[in-house]
Amino acid sequence: MSSTANKTIQIKKSKALKGYKREKMIWAVIFLLPWAIGFLLFFLIPFLRSLYYSFYTLEPTPDGIITTWNGIGNYLYALNQHVSGNTSFRVELVNTSLDAIINIPVLLIFSLFIAVMLNMKFKGRAIVRAIFFIPVILNSAAVTSALGGGEAIAAILEEQGVSQIFDLEFYLLQMGAMPWLVTFIVGLIDRIYVILSMAGVPILLFLASIQSVPKHLYEAAKIEGATGYESFWLITLPNVSPHIVTVTVYALVDTFLTSSVSTLISDELGKPNRWGESAAMAWIYVSIIILILLVLAVFAKAFKIGGSHYEN
Amino acid sequence: MKIKNFIMQIVNRVKSIKDRIKKYFDKPRTKLVWKRNISNFLMKLLRTVLLFGLCFVILFPIIQQISMALRAPEDTNNPAVIWVPENWSLMNLKISIIVLDFWKALLNTFKISAISMILQITSTALAGYVFSRLRFRGSNILFAMVMITIITPPQALSLAQYLYFRDISLIGKESSIYLMSGLGMGIRSGIFIYIFRQFFRGLPKELEESAQLDGASVFRTFWNIMLPNARGALVTVGLFAFVWQWNDAYYVAIFDVSTEAFPLLTMQLVNVAENVYTALFYTGGIDLIGQNVWENPLFLVLISNVSALLMMLPLLIMYLFVQKQFVESIERTGIVG
Repeated sequence: MSSTANKTIQIKKSKALKGYKREKMIWAVIFLLPWAIGFLLFFLIPFLRSLYYSFYTLEPTPDGIITTWNGIGNYLYALNQHVSGNTSFRVELVNTSLDAIINIPVLLIFSLFIAVMLNMKFKGRAIVRAIFFIPVILNSAAVTSALGGGEAIAAILEEQGVSQIFDLEFYLLQMGAMPWLVTFIVGLIDRIYVILSMAGVPILLFLASIQSVPKHLYEAAKIEGATGYESFWLITLPNVSPHIVTVTVYALVDTFLTSSVSTLISDELGKPNRWGESAAMAWIYVSIIILILLVLAVFAKAFKIGGSHYEN
Repeated sequence: MKIKNFIMQIVNRVKSIKDRIKKYFDKPRTKLVWKRNISNFLMKLLRTVLLFGLCFVILFPIIQQISMALRAPEDTNNPAVIWVPENWSLMNLKISIIVLDFWKALLNTFKISAISMILQITSTALAGYVFSRLRFRGSNILFAMVMITIITPPQALSLAQYLYFRDISLIGKESSIYLMSGLGMGIRSGIFIYIFRQFFRGLPKELEESAQLDGASVFRTFWNIMLPNARGALVTVGLFAFVWQWNDAYYVAIFDVSTEAFPLLTMQLVNVAENVYTALFYTGGIDLIGQNVWENPLFLVLISNVSALLMMLPLLIMYLFVQKQFVESIERTGIVG
C-alpha cells in the first residue's frame, strides 16, 4: 500500500515539476521576445550586411550602391596599407590591445579598492560618492568635444597661437615651484585622472555588488571575531567575484570603444567609397576583442573566478 | 627616614601603576582592542588622504570651469584673474542658456532619457532574468549573441541601421531611440543584460525554490521576489541608462533626432561654437555684451565650457538624490537567518 502511495506522490511531484518547467519555458520565451526581435532586426541583419560589405568594394552612385567582389582585399588593406596622419590602423590596434591588457588589472584593483572605501561609513560619504560619479558624466563625447574645444574652436585657437586658457603647469611655475616638481605633479595628476575617468563605471558596479552582499554574513563574521581585512577576503571578494567578470568585459569594451581604433573606423566610414574597408576594420576589431575575452575566460576558469558560489 | 619612606612610597606607587598598565596590556582582550583601534585609525587616515586627494583631482578642472563661468565676459583673458573672478557676473550663464536653448533642450533631454531608461530597464531585466534563472536548451548560445552585441562597435552597424530606419521613415523622430531601447538594442543594452544576469545569478536559489513551493507562478516569482532583491542592479542600470542617453551624441546624430523643434542638449553642445553668433544675433543677446568681447576667440571657448557645465549640472543634482538608493538597496534581503 505504502509503496504505491509513494509512487503516486512521486508521479504527482514529477508532473508538477514538469508543469513548472513548461511554465518556465513559456515565460522564458515571453521575457526574451523583445530582445529577440530587436536582436534580429537591429543587430543581426546590419551585422551580416556589414560582414558582406567587408568582402566587397562599395561605390555609391545615384542609382544605388555598386558592389564588386574584393575577397580579403579589404582586410589586407586595413592591416597593411592603411595610413592616417602619422599612424595607421595596425599600429593603433596593437597599442590599444596592449593598453587594455596593462590597464585592466590596475583598473580592477583600483576600482574595487575605492568601492570598498566608499562603502564604509564616514562623514561626507554622500558628497564623496557624488564627486566620484563626476567622471561618469564627463566621459561623454559631447562634453569632451566641448571642453577640448570643438574643431571650430581648435582652428581659431591655433590661429591665435593660444594653447590653453588654464594651464596648471604655467601657474605652478609662476608661483615659483621647482620645475621638476611641477612636471612630476602634472604628470601624476594626468595619469590619475585617466585612470579615474575610466574607473567611474567600474566603481559604481562594484559598489552596487558589494551592497548586495547579505548583511548577516558580516554580522556573523564580526561575532566570530573576524577583522575587517579577513571579512574583505572571505566575504566581500567571493561575493563580488561574479561582477569582476562584468567589470572586466565592460572595461575591455570601453577601452576599445574610446580608443583611436574606433575613431579610425568612424573616419573611414565617413569616406563614401571606403565602406568596405571600414567594415573590414570593424570585423578585425571585433575578432581581437573576442580573442582577448577568450584568453580571459580561460584564465577565469583556471582561477575559478566568476562562478556564483551559491550555485555550487 | 621620613624622606626615605616618602621615596619608597612613590616608588611603590609607580611600580603599582606600572603593574596595572602591564596587566591591562597583558589581557588578551585589550591587546585585541588596541590592535583594532590602531588599525582602524590607520585605515581612516589612509581613506581620508586617498579619497580627499582623488576628489581634488576630479574636482580641479570643474572648479576651474565654475570660476570661469562666473567671471564677467570682459575678463575672459584677463591675466590677472586666475581663480577668483574680479567682476562677478552671471552673463556667461545667460549667454549659454540662450545659445543652448537650454530650458527647452533640458526638458526634451530629460524626457528622452527618462523614457528610454524605463524601456531599457524593462527589456534588459527580462532578458537578464531569462539568461540567469529561466535557462533552456540553447540559451547559452543566445547569451553568446548578447556578448557579441556588447563587443561590436556601433560604427559597424550604424550604416545599415540608418538605412533600416529610413525605410520605415523613423529618421528625425525620437521614437527611433525608444524603439531601439525597448527592443533591447539601445545604448550598451548588452552590458545591462549582463549586469542583470550576474545579479540574478547571485541571488540564493532558496528564494526561488521557496516561492515555487508556496505555489507562486514564474511571473510572480520574478515580479514579487527576484526583482525587489535585485534593486542594486535596477538602480545601477537605471542610472547608467539615464546618464548614457543624456550624454549620447552618437545615435542621436545618426538618427537625426535633435531638430530645431526638438533640440537636445548634447547636439546643442556639440554645435555650440558654430551657433554662438547666430543665436546671439537672433535673440538680441548680442546687446548684452560689447563687440570687443564677442570678437575675442577665447570667448567662444568660455561659452562652450560654461555650456558643458550646464549640461552636467542637472545630472549631478539628480545623482545626489539617487545615490541614497545605493545605500539602502539590499538591506532588506528576503532570507535572513
